[in-house]
Amino acid sequence: MKTVFVNPERCLGCHQCEIACAVAHSSSKEVSLALWEEPLPRRRIHVEPGPTYNTSFANKCRHCNPAPCEQVCPTGAIHRQQDHDLVLITATKCIACAMCAMVCPFDVLTYYPVAETGPQRVVAVKCDGCVDRLSRGDIPACVEACKAEALVFGELNELLKAGRLRESYAVVAATTMMEGQAPAVPETVHAWRAWGASAEEATQGGGER
Amino acid sequence: MKTIFPVDFQRMSVHKDSQAMLRRASEEGIETVWDRLAKQEPQCGYCSLGLSCRNCAMGPCRVDPFGDGPQKGVCGADADVIVARNLGRAIAAGASAHSDHGRDILEVFHATAAGETTGYQIADEGKLKAIAADYGVELEDRSTREVALEVAEAIMEDYGTRKGSLGFLKRVPAKRLAVWQKLDILPRGIDRENVEMLHRTHMGVDNDYVNILLHCLRTSLSDGWGGSMVATELSDVMFGTPKPVSSEMNLGVLKADEVNIALHGHNPVLSDVIVQASQDPELLNLAKEQGAAGINLVGLCCTGNELLMRRGIPMAGNHLIQELVIMTGALDAMVVDYQCIMPSVTDVAKCFHTAVISTFDKAKFPGAIHITFDPHRGIEIGKEIVRRAVQAYAGRVADKVYIPGEPIPMMAGFSVEAIVEALGGSPEPLLAAIKDGKIRGAVGVVGCNNPKIKQDFGHVQLCRRLIENDILVVVTGCAAVANGKAGQMRPEAADMAGPGLAGICKALGIPPVLHMGSCVDNTRILVLAAALANQLDVDISQLPLAAAAPEWYSEKAAAIGTYAVASGIYTVLGVQPPIFGSKNVVQLLAEGLEDVVGATFAIEPDAERAASLIRRHIEVKRRELGLPYHDPQTIPLPERGREKSPAVA
Repeated sequence: MKTVFVNPERCLGCHQCEIACAVAHSSSKEVSLALWEEPLPRRRIHVEPGPTYNTSFANKCRHCNPAPCEQVCPTGAIHRQQDHDLVLITATKCIACAMCAMVCPFDVLTYYPVAETGPQRVVAVKCDGCVDRLSRGDIPACVEACKAEALVFGELNELLKAGRLRESYAVVAATTMMEGQAPAVPETVHAWRAWGASAEEATQGGGER
Repeated sequence: MKTIFPVDFQRMSVHKDSQAMLRRASEEGIETVWDRLAKQEPQCGYCSLGLSCRNCAMGPCRVDPFGDGPQKGVCGADADVIVARNLGRAIAAGASAHSDHGRDILEVFHATAAGETTGYQIADEGKLKAIAADYGVELEDRSTREVALEVAEAIMEDYGTRKGSLGFLKRVPAKRLAVWQKLDILPRGIDRENVEMLHRTHMGVDNDYVNILLHCLRTSLSDGWGGSMVATELSDVMFGTPKPVSSEMNLGVLKADEVNIALHGHNPVLSDVIVQASQDPELLNLAKEQGAAGINLVGLCCTGNELLMRRGIPMAGNHLIQELVIMTGALDAMVVDYQCIMPSVTDVAKCFHTAVISTFDKAKFPGAIHITFDPHRGIEIGKEIVRRAVQAYAGRVADKVYIPGEPIPMMAGFSVEAIVEALGGSPEPLLAAIKDGKIRGAVGVVGCNNPKIKQDFGHVQLCRRLIENDILVVVTGCAAVANGKAGQMRPEAADMAGPGLAGICKALGIPPVLHMGSCVDNTRILVLAAALANQLDVDISQLPLAAAAPEWYSEKAAAIGTYAVASGIYTVLGVQPPIFGSKNVVQLLAEGLEDVVGATFAIEPDAERAASLIRRHIEVKRRELGLPYHDPQTIPLPERGREKSPAVA
């Protein structure tokens, strides 16, 4: 099963995935035209800040199986698409009751008007795994936009193996005093984040005058 | 879920007045800079690492710091070049802001010398003569106005490239000048270096990051020893060289029963005539007719610092107070000139009766009343502005007025001339105290507020640790206001200092933290450092000095930090500049520059650690000068809690 995997330590908080997502779900598929559409196309991936400056996480639908949202949807608007193993919403069937949002373990649902139902009412909006793009043989728009490999697309077990390999290098390096081969983040990014952690700590100190 | 309005006010500012107003903002749903920062988070990592480039239309480009994605922009620029180009443009923008401010003062000075202005005069002839000497203008048998005209024209030439190098370089110690000559970074013209930076950072010009960084140094020097110095020196000539003066600070300086006018921005050229206009009997009568007991001027940011230094006008606060001061409901007018004035002030003002009055044609604010500054009608325009403020007072809603707390007394006005005078006419007693170790050294703590750092915590805590360890602190800009509000600028604050510094402060009746002025007045620190170096016949970089900008945010601060380092002063930044995407650039600025200009940058947001880094540096310099010293390694460097490895040290 192919999925969009998130490496939070690689997320730079640039929001490029959000822009690419909204454009991919616009009618025009053009960033300059998408901004003029009515209703506005919306992002379905959300880059939210972490606890310190210079940390963030790109949150999106994990397409759970079984999917709690699908199980509670009273109108059958949420269903599983078998070809790509994705959880999809039929906007025209959605009654915006927010049951799906209540049970979602990741809080990925948002409510906006969409092109299928027009600007008059809001419906549940979430990641559709870029099912149209996948059908054409493309990868999801968010992954394509990410230049830092914070978002990667592939077979889940293969992606996990890449992480295991890195762990393995680190453990062997630590136990044998060898030079580590592949640190999780380069020195530049490490130093950039270290400032954030330190600034956060400084903010917690000190009272009022 | 994140709340829309941050509500943990104690995490946002150390000051009770700010916290009270932040609570009010939260209750009334008024958006502040802290809310907007929260909404911007997470901020783009490419941009804050300096790895994004928008300099041309083949882009925008970004370099992947993890090494897997693109390593070069479309043009072929790598991380080093992109980071250096971005830094260079920031410094050029900051230097341009200072230098253009200087030019505005210069133009008024020139018109005043020509007898074309109202409300302006040559207030300090001694200072004028000193500048005339720097510029080689003859004094003999000539009227003040003739000398002033020739000085004005000579300085105007410094903006171009007529003479090859700047007039104020005569103040630079010979050893420092030799360093710049060897590196070929002597500033040639105030405007020229900024323009050349824009040229070099255009695609396909300077593709060598080291060469770009050298020009960063030269560009900053054209600010520190050029544009900013022109602003300071000519402001002294026209408005008087500051002398020690007592005043007060924080939102408590607003008066519930008077017309309150805040003067905000950086250029004193208009606000100084507003001070004159506010004493006009006709306008005072008008205020009385409206039911106000008088007209109360308060300062904000560096315009406030300029007026505090020369006129003792009290300060409402620094950068992060500008929205909060309106929320007192007691501010009738905010008169703005330029720099650091948030576009949001007109939005906040809409919730109250406050009139925002913009005054420079180059700095307009939708929602503000615009009254064009014109030095030829200076005093008339000053009166017009004060009249608008008095009229606005009629709209004040008494129920909405909430002025938190009592003002804190403080002392300002420490120009180099005033410090030398306090020392008995020569810097020798200060040098003697440094030589025998009663004072270990001196540190300039300067720069802005930044909502990423708890307001004024960085400034106050760092200065406190330094004075406790017998280090004399001089402050400017927002750092000065932070220290004043924290009570560290009263003469009695000598009790907070170590025994050596406390003794000297008490003998002279001065505080251990000396207010040297606005952010362009950082040039006063350069002049003082040069005077000390000349007295000892050493380079500035050999002196036990340092600088810090714990809460900086602006491009101007980037220029200031760079001219401090280029002038030989070790500088600790509390906020990281967008350079961490290039290890080479970071290494050059944090280590490599030591062998080039004898000083480096360090980045340290923790005030306790910053204080230790500075104390160690000062003891190293003492050892190298053959003065009594403490072993730097015995000064503890507090561990980081969460992050054990230093960011850059």
